[in-house]
Amino acid sequence: MKPRGGYQGYVLDVDLSSGRATRREVPDEFAMKYIGGRGYGARITWDSLVPGLDPLGPQNTLTIAPGPLNGLLIPSSGKTSFHCISPATGIYGDSNMGGSFGAEIRLAGLDGLSIRGRADRLSYLWIDDDLVEIRDAGHLAGCGATQTERTLKDDLGGEDVRVATVGPAGENLVVFATINSDWGRNAGRTGMGAVMGSKNLKAIAVRGTNDLPVYDIEALMEVSDRAFEYLRSHTSMDIWQRQGLMTVIDYANTVGFLPTRNFGDAFFEGAEGINGDVMESGYKISDSACLACPMCCGNVCLVKEGRWAGTACEGPEYETAAMFGSNLGVDDFPFILKANQLCDELGIDTISTGNLIGVVIEAYQRGWLSPDDMDGMKPDWGDQDSAVRLMELIARGDGIGKYLARGSRGLLEKWPELARITVQVKGLEQSAYDSRVSLCMALAYGTCDIGAHHTRAWPISKELEMGQEWGLEEKVDLVMYHQAVRPVFDMLGVCRLPWIELSIDENLYAEMYSAVVGIPFTLDDLLKRSKVIYDLTRAISVKLGVRRDQDYPAPRTFKDPVQSGPFEGKTADPEEYEAILNMYYERRGWDRKTGIPRRETLISDGLEDVAADLEALLEGE
Amino acid sequence: MKRIKVIPERCSGCRICELTCANYHYGVMNPKKSAIRLFSLYPNPIIRTPIVCRQCDDPECQKSCPTGAIVLTDGILRIDPDLCTNCLACVDACPYGAIFVHPDLDTPIKCDLCSGQPRCVRDCPKHALVLSDEVAGQPSLVGKSIEYGGMEELTVTDPEGKETTLKYVQGGRPR
Repeated sequence: MKPRGGYQGYVLDVDLSSGRATRREVPDEFAMKYIGGRGYGARITWDSLVPGLDPLGPQNTLTIAPGPLNGLLIPSSGKTSFHCISPATGIYGDSNMGGSFGAEIRLAGLDGLSIRGRADRLSYLWIDDDLVEIRDAGHLAGCGATQTERTLKDDLGGEDVRVATVGPAGENLVVFATINSDWGRNAGRTGMGAVMGSKNLKAIAVRGTNDLPVYDIEALMEVSDRAFEYLRSHTSMDIWQRQGLMTVIDYANTVGFLPTRNFGDAFFEGAEGINGDVMESGYKISDSACLACPMCCGNVCLVKEGRWAGTACEGPEYETAAMFGSNLGVDDFPFILKANQLCDELGIDTISTGNLIGVVIEAYQRGWLSPDDMDGMKPDWGDQDSAVRLMELIARGDGIGKYLARGSRGLLEKWPELARITVQVKGLEQSAYDSRVSLCMALAYGTCDIGAHHTRAWPISKELEMGQEWGLEEKVDLVMYHQAVRPVFDMLGVCRLPWIELSIDENLYAEMYSAVVGIPFTLDDLLKRSKVIYDLTRAISVKLGVRRDQDYPAPRTFKDPVQSGPFEGKTADPEEYEAILNMYYERRGWDRKTGIPRRETLISDGLEDVAADLEALLEGE
Repeated sequence: MKRIKVIPERCSGCRICELTCANYHYGVMNPKKSAIRLFSLYPNPIIRTPIVCRQCDDPECQKSCPTGAIVLTDGILRIDPDLCTNCLACVDACPYGAIFVHPDLDTPIKCDLCSGQPRCVRDCPKHALVLSDEVAGQPSLVGKSIEYGGMEELTVTDPEGKETTLKYVQGGRPR
């Protein structure tokens, strides 16, 4: 199959050690098999694996891939994915970012960037259509993320230029450092920013002028018009534009899965201080959208009075408000905005940061961390000063921040006894949904390929609404469908929120992709390719040591009952989890004992070379 | 006379205006070929606003054109491709920075109101663009279009006693 549109046909290989950049042609078969975005990233990551790879060493390859629908006039086409071996987890990692950065890569005539090596001094990459330069970034050392973006845009050509950058935390190799673009859109998870930092790469600036290739633009516009019209006339569009994901705070609290005080509870008595209504009535000054998105879920907020007066940034969204609000026992919206702004500027992930600060507070309160460990702080629930101080210590790697900067794994290496209260899977701190109240969510966290993140599956809402009485079969079905369909959006380079939040028909995306490449694709075709990529990312992580024993949610899920709210007293049932995990492996074609994809599974995926490679590895064990 | 009026406090910065403009005029997916561009400032002030031709009554672009290629018909200033030499004098002359250039094109890119039914106005999901008889203020520079947005000021004092004045636009629901 030869795509007749959709692809620029090249990936830019950059070796920062030698200072060489090459436009590498992407074969048609590769494009048709891996589609783009996460698919490209996973395959390139597999191909670049070498024995003994250090995630923060020059051999780790950072692949940035926007996907074939990115940048088009279709709803929410601004998502681009970042991939590499994660320094937080030591296994496959990826994260995606909204905004306009990915589209600019495509406008520069590229389907992706693949960056390895290490520059000999702090540098930034400048891609101006065909021109590629590695330039000195000494003047940006230690600069905040949005400040760096401002400086580079002003130097290089203003709004025609898109910039992705790391903050000081990326330079300092904090393993949950982010890559930031468009004033506060982040590739937040699994430490992409640390990998950039380890390569001495402060920023990537891109300007492109090429057309994005589309085979049948009229057919595309016909589908796109339907999609835009559906969203425009949706009854929830108004509240969505006004509050975006901040509406989820009230929903999560009412239903009973809002992480509260380090996931100890799932109901927060102070939720009214941090919800969407508070934001909208007191702090929001403007909407903010990613490229081509009518939903504009971003909320730009400003604190006008009080202690944090003058704090302004894009955000927060649900995860940030939950992790710095209820999860730290804070019911004060201005603090959440302050934390959000600090994280953006320092370049650290709000989910991991809020999660880890929660662990520290609980550990200190239980007496598991001593005052000596705390550099004089006495962190408590609702304690804004300690939280701000901890963020700064993390970004600099000072004091207790030295261990926290290495994420859960660093924390547990120093204080193994904290494993009991650290809510993470595979070294990635859990995002803001309680996993005790929904077995599907526990399985989603346990089997997500990057660790405890809801990116691959977010089945909690559906299970709680209609699946309480479901059998395990139906629950596995739901998780597997999510893990197949959600990555399709990441492969195409579009946002999944129109589907999740406003229930747009996911088949429309297959129609759009067909019009763009000039080859008929059904949703099912895309789901099959998505499944192949799930097996591939699993194979990467298997090669790096992941087995069945790592596919479990955090200990708290089974051991500590929810303390209040609708699910008071609830824990997940470990036997039920064993049963659903067995069923899950069976359905995936992974070995039940080890969790390794079976040979015949990989062969039927068309991943013969991966199958052979894994077989050789396992024979050696 | 109808003109495109920009209401910055409604703009979310989604750039649908850019994409639909380029698609309508050139049949391509390429925001760099649009006659309307999102302009964003951050962090002080935080503002997003599209920049687009105002179809001025006293058009500097037309006055600057050495070949008379900028022609007024039905209240719309258009570039006549047969007369235009692509010297870019109009680009420099426009006080709003609202005429754009693309290396593939033989003439600068200037809003022609889609002959009366502007696509950007039709497609803006936030109603930040309106086709109106009113002129959007009387600004003389690009920066003035921001002033039109109704900037508000906030002075804050940090713990060391240093004062900083922040400017911002109070947005809100479409009126």
